[in-house]
Formats: sequence, C-alpha cells, structure tokens
Amino acid sequence: MKNSNLRGAGTVFRYTVQQHYKTRSVIIFLVVLFVIAVALLPAAALLSGSQKEVSETGIKTLYIRNETDFPIDTALLLADERYQAVRIEETDADDDTLNKRLAEESESAASVITMDAEEYHFSINTRYGKDSAVSHADAATLNNVMGDVLHKSLMQALGVTADQEDMIHAKTVSQVSKVSDFLRGEEETSADTHVFANIVYNYFIIMLCVISMSYIFQQCMEEKVSKLVEMLMVSVSPTALLLGKILAVTVFIFGGLGLIAVGFVISYQIAKQIADVSALQAVIVKLLQFDPTALHLNAGTLLLFIICVLLVYAMYAPLSGIAGSCCSKTEDTQHASLVVVVVMMLGYMIGSFAPMFESDAANVFFSLFPVTSIFSAFPNYVCGKISLPVLLLALVIQAVTAVLLMRIAGSVYKMMLLYRGGFPKPKQLIQMLKEYKASAKHGKEDSHAV
Amino acid sequence: MGFKVTDLFKKYGDKVVVDHLSFEMREPGVYALLGTNGAGKTTSIRMILNMLAKDGGTVEWNGGPLTLQTCNVGYLAEERGLYPKNTLMDQLMYFASLRGVPRAEAKQRINYWAERLEATEYLYPPQEGKRPVKPKKADQLSKGNQQKIQFMLSLLSDPELLILDEPLSGLDPVNTDLFKSIIHEEIGKGKYLIMSSHQMATIEEFCTDLTILNRSKTVLQGNLAEIKKGYGRINLFIKAEQELRPMIEAAGITILSSVGFSYQCKVSGEEQANGLLKNLVTQGIPLITFELREPSLHEIFVEKVGDTHEEQ
Repeated sequence: MKNSNLRGAGTVFRYTVQQHYKTRSVIIFLVVLFVIAVALLPAAALLSGSQKEVSETGIKTLYIRNETDFPIDTALLLADERYQAVRIEETDADDDTLNKRLAEESESAASVITMDAEEYHFSINTRYGKDSAVSHADAATLNNVMGDVLHKSLMQALGVTADQEDMIHAKTVSQVSKVSDFLRGEEETSADTHVFANIVYNYFIIMLCVISMSYIFQQCMEEKVSKLVEMLMVSVSPTALLLGKILAVTVFIFGGLGLIAVGFVISYQIAKQIADVSALQAVIVKLLQFDPTALHLNAGTLLLFIICVLLVYAMYAPLSGIAGSCCSKTEDTQHASLVVVVVMMLGYMIGSFAPMFESDAANVFFSLFPVTSIFSAFPNYVCGKISLPVLLLALVIQAVTAVLLMRIAGSVYKMMLLYRGGFPKPKQLIQMLKEYKASAKHGKEDSHAV
Repeated sequence: MGFKVTDLFKKYGDKVVVDHLSFEMREPGVYALLGTNGAGKTTSIRMILNMLAKDGGTVEWNGGPLTLQTCNVGYLAEERGLYPKNTLMDQLMYFASLRGVPRAEAKQRINYWAERLEATEYLYPPQEGKRPVKPKKADQLSKGNQQKIQFMLSLLSDPELLILDEPLSGLDPVNTDLFKSIIHEEIGKGKYLIMSSHQMATIEEFCTDLTILNRSKTVLQGNLAEIKKGYGRINLFIKAEQELRPMIEAAGITILSSVGFSYQCKVSGEEQANGLLKNLVTQGIPLITFELREPSLHEIFVEKVGDTHEEQ
C-alpha cells in the first residue's frame, strides 16, 4: 500500500471524530452512560444493605441478653480495639425494660441473641434508642462483630480448635479428568464456571460487534447518501477515507467503553466509601453461582483480554465495512446487518455452547477457527481448556484474518463507492470484484492508481 | 505539456461504455465533453480522475500520469451534495484541509469565495437581537445555495485543472450569470477547464475545443470555430413584412420552419442565399432581417447524435 494512498486519513479521522462529538444526542448518551456507570455500584451497595463498618464506636454501654444455651465470651468483643472502652452488661431484662433503658440512655445499645434449637438457627438483634447518639452504621458494625463473637464462643463451648474449624470448612474441589490430563497436572474448571465465563465474555463481544457494526454502516454510507463521494474522491483516496472512518469509529467505541470503565472505577471508589464492597462481591458471586477463583486469572490476563477485544474489533470492523460498503441507501442496511449478524451469531452460538462438548479437540478447534475463535479462545484460556501457546496461535490467526478482511474491505469500499444499485448478492459481488481487480491491474501497470 | 487523454476505454461485462476516447489540451482553455445521456461523459470524467478503474488508456498531466499528487484538480460533480447535518464552515474547512490548504489561508479563501458567490450570510449568519445565531447546516439551504457551497468546495484548492460536470443545472438566471462570471474569471487566470453540459449555449459561450460522444464513441472532435467553419454558413434567417414563401421556394431553398413572415431556412451555400437576396431587392420587397450564419452547436449536436439517439 502506497503512503500516498493514506494521505488525508488523519484529516478524515479528526473531522469524523469532531463531528461525532459535536452531536448533541451523542453527548447526552455518553453523559447518561457515565452517570449510570458511576451510580451503579453505590446504588447496588445501598440497596443490598451492605453498609461500611465504622472505625470508632459511640457506644458506651452494651447490654447483652443471651437466650442461647451457649455462653458468650465477651472478652472476644473487648479484644476488638473499637470496643475496649465499652461497658458490657449481661442482662435478663425483658424487651420492654431493655427498650426503656435504651430510650433513656443515648449512648447505649443492646444485642439480643436467640437460637432456634430445632433448625440450629441463631439470630442477633442489635438495637439502639430513638434519639440515640449511636448511629445505624455503628449498630450494624456491632451486629457484625457480635456475629463473629457468637461464632467463636460456640466453637470454644464445643471445644473446636481453630485448625479443626478450618478443616471443617475446607473446600472440596472435585475433578474428572483423563489419565493423560491428570499426569500433565492440568486442573479442570467446572463446566458451570466455563459456561458462565463464555456467556459473559461472548455477551460483551456481541455488544461490541453490534454497536460497532451500526457505526461502521453509517460511516460507510455517509458520503454515498449525502452525494459527496465524487467531490471527496479528488481530495482523498478511498483507502484513506475508509481508514480514517474506521479509526474514528474505534475512538467512538473504545472511548465509550473507556468512559464506562472510568465510571465503574469511580463507582467502586464511591461504593467503598459508603458500603462494605466485599459483602457486595460475595452477594454477586452467590447470585450468579460463579466461582471467580476457578478461573486462571493473573496479571497478564488483563493484557490478553485487551488484545483479544482489539482483535475482535479488528476482525468485525472490516467485515462490517464490506457489508456497509454494499449499501447505497438506508434500507440496504437490513441486508448488510443480516450478513454480519449471521456470521456473528454462528460464532456466538458455537462459542457459548462449546463448553458442553467437554472435548479438548473441540476446544482447540473452536479456539483456532476464526469465526468461533473470537468468542471461544479467551474464555477457553481463562478456564484452562487451552494452553497459552494455543491462545497465542489463535491470536495470530485472528490478526492475519483481520488483515485479509481489511484488504478486502478496502477494495470493496473503493469499488462500491460509486455503485448505486440494490444490495448485491454474493455471486454478483464476487463478479464485480473480479472485474474491478482486472481493471485495477491495468491501472497499476500505468501507475495511475490514486 | 498540458492535459492529454489517450485511448480511454471502459466496459461493464460485454457492454462498452467508453470506446477509446482521446483528446488533448495543449494550453489553458475550456474543453467541452458533450453527449446524450448515457454517452459516457461522466464515466470518462470518473476515469480521468481515477475514481473508476480504466480498462485501457492513459491520462497525462504535464507529461506524467495524472494523480492527486501530480495535479491540483477541482471537481464539481454532476451528482453533488453536502453533509446535511454538519455546518457549512466545518465542511469547507475539512475540504481545504484535505487539499493541504493551511488553516489561515483556507479561511481567507472561504471568505473570498463566500463574498464572491454571495453566500457570506450562510457562513456567518447575522445576529438576531441579542441571541447568537447558530451557523447554518447544509440541509437548511436551498438547492441553489447548496450548489454555491459545492462550487466553493471545488475552487478552494485554487486548482490548475477544473472539471465541471453540468455546473449550471438547477440555477436561477441570476445565479447562472454569477457562476458564468466566475468561470470566465477562472479561464482568465489561465486554468485548464473541462466542462460537460447539456446547455449548448453555455458550452458555446466558453469552450474552444470539444468532443461529442454518442453511445460511447467519439462522433465529432476538434476546435469549435473550425468545425463551424467546416459546415459553412448554411443557415438563413429572413424576416419580412409580407409573404415570401413562393420566392424562397422558387430559389430552391428549403424552409425548415416559419412563424408569420419569419423563415428559418437551409441553403446549399452563400451563392444560393445571395441569389435570393438579389431577387428580393430587385422586386423592392422590404426586409427586416436577412441573416446568413454558421450552424449553432445545438444544430451540430442534433445532427451528429440525433438520428442514433432516436434509435435508442
């Protein structure tokens, strides 16, 4: 590709980006997206009730009414430096008396511990007075600490040591593997986690592809629809025009994703200030039935993830470019999107259901075959289904495919810029490409190609 | 030196759309590409500008291949538009930037052409009261005013070679004159112009040389004055105050059309016309007009492509 072919790509890129971000609806959309991202975690934390623990307590006196058959070791509570100065009074007072005291003493709180003997269910109710100096967060923190104190007291009462307790709670990992895998020492991630990782990753990829597809269609058609294409082509080559536009769409897409990521970082920081984020994480993991520790995550995984996502875009952007270049009017985008979506859904469906095959050969094949590779390779790697060399080979294949698609997209875009017919059928498009290549060959011989 | 097209050829499948077109401009001036609809004019221009791959032929500028790098081309396409939702100034600056015109220079040129084309108010809308008025977008302009902006786009780079495809179509008489005056200015600056139009009077006003295409083939080519001279002065227009038909027919002259006592005739040569004039003067018939002239470009065009065009 001649350098002169790319002259003007930077100008096209700058102009396209400027015009995009000058559009009011785009700005509103981005602001809304950012606000949602920022508000999401704090809102979730607040709604889930996982408030942040206080570092100092305003409680001076704590009444404990223990209705269980087990003694509570209050020394465990006093071992927490926040409660060292708290006066602890064990009481048998009934609710009315206790509530009356709390109403009168503004710096007091009471924890009532009960037990359902039939279901071995314990509950702790920590309360404070209506006009008390004790805050709700303070009482909630005390309640959490009392939970630990109760648990440890129970262990002591039952004579269970710390080691024994660890053993009771030891995690059991069950594995099924072939002898060959066993001898290689490869761990297998559970099918549930594998399926979950595939679905989450593939969902993200689909969103990326669909959003970028519509942007690229719009950009490929813009000059045709506005009838500017001929006047523009004496100023910039089609290759530079397409490159500038695809780079601009890259900025829209990854700028948007970056904005969401920044929003989430801010969101996380805010959530950390107002709530116990670890509790929220536990809730999410429990809700999704997903064990993140089963994934092969390390420092390089983030880098690999970014490379994989960029390659997904690098493959689907030119594919969308090819389909978008064949559109002469807005109605044609229905045909164009159908072409791209069929290819995308094929990869998505196989990628999402691949874990069910439980076959090493299938995992390797789906990771290397370009259509399914972008959906399968990364999840397969993080789930330990393929090795790093296989993933790297998959990335090389994706990169080569992306380069080939970009070259085809460049030719199709140049060939179709002046085309005003309906959306061409594949056979018709191939015939047009052949004729175009034959003519272009003559142009090259004359050194006339722009 | 100059501009040269040699053996330009294009076909779609088995259909030849430009059949070995050749022409040359050795010095600045206006060259006209004429033809019926579908004759291959726009396809030829697209190949000249490398928008369309050629199946044969070469296009040269100053002895080398014509490319974006070797020739500063301005082009007003027949199919023309603007980005509908972008401001006019943004679009003009964008085109100037693509042509490598520095920002400050671009601004100066835009202001010059805006004033020249009476389009300043669209680029710098006057303030209404205390409210600042937003710059105009392309879809807020009429077709004629959009055409002014498109003409500005083609002139912004101060091109050496200016290709105008139907530059005056869709313009009102006032703007037609405005565009014509600018075209005259560009000719005066020593530019090379290639013009395609169906308005023969316009072509006749500007061009020195021409090619007429019909069904992809060149049917007439050369210097317009010489072509006309070759046809001779065979058009006779007579206007009188009485019936002249019997005398005209008696002189063996064909009457093409007549309205009242005005006659449009075709003569075989100047001698035949002079014979008729002598006869009318001898008889003392008062004449208002007796004009013998060369055929117009319109008549030449119709003669060259008329029959085959009807067959199509």
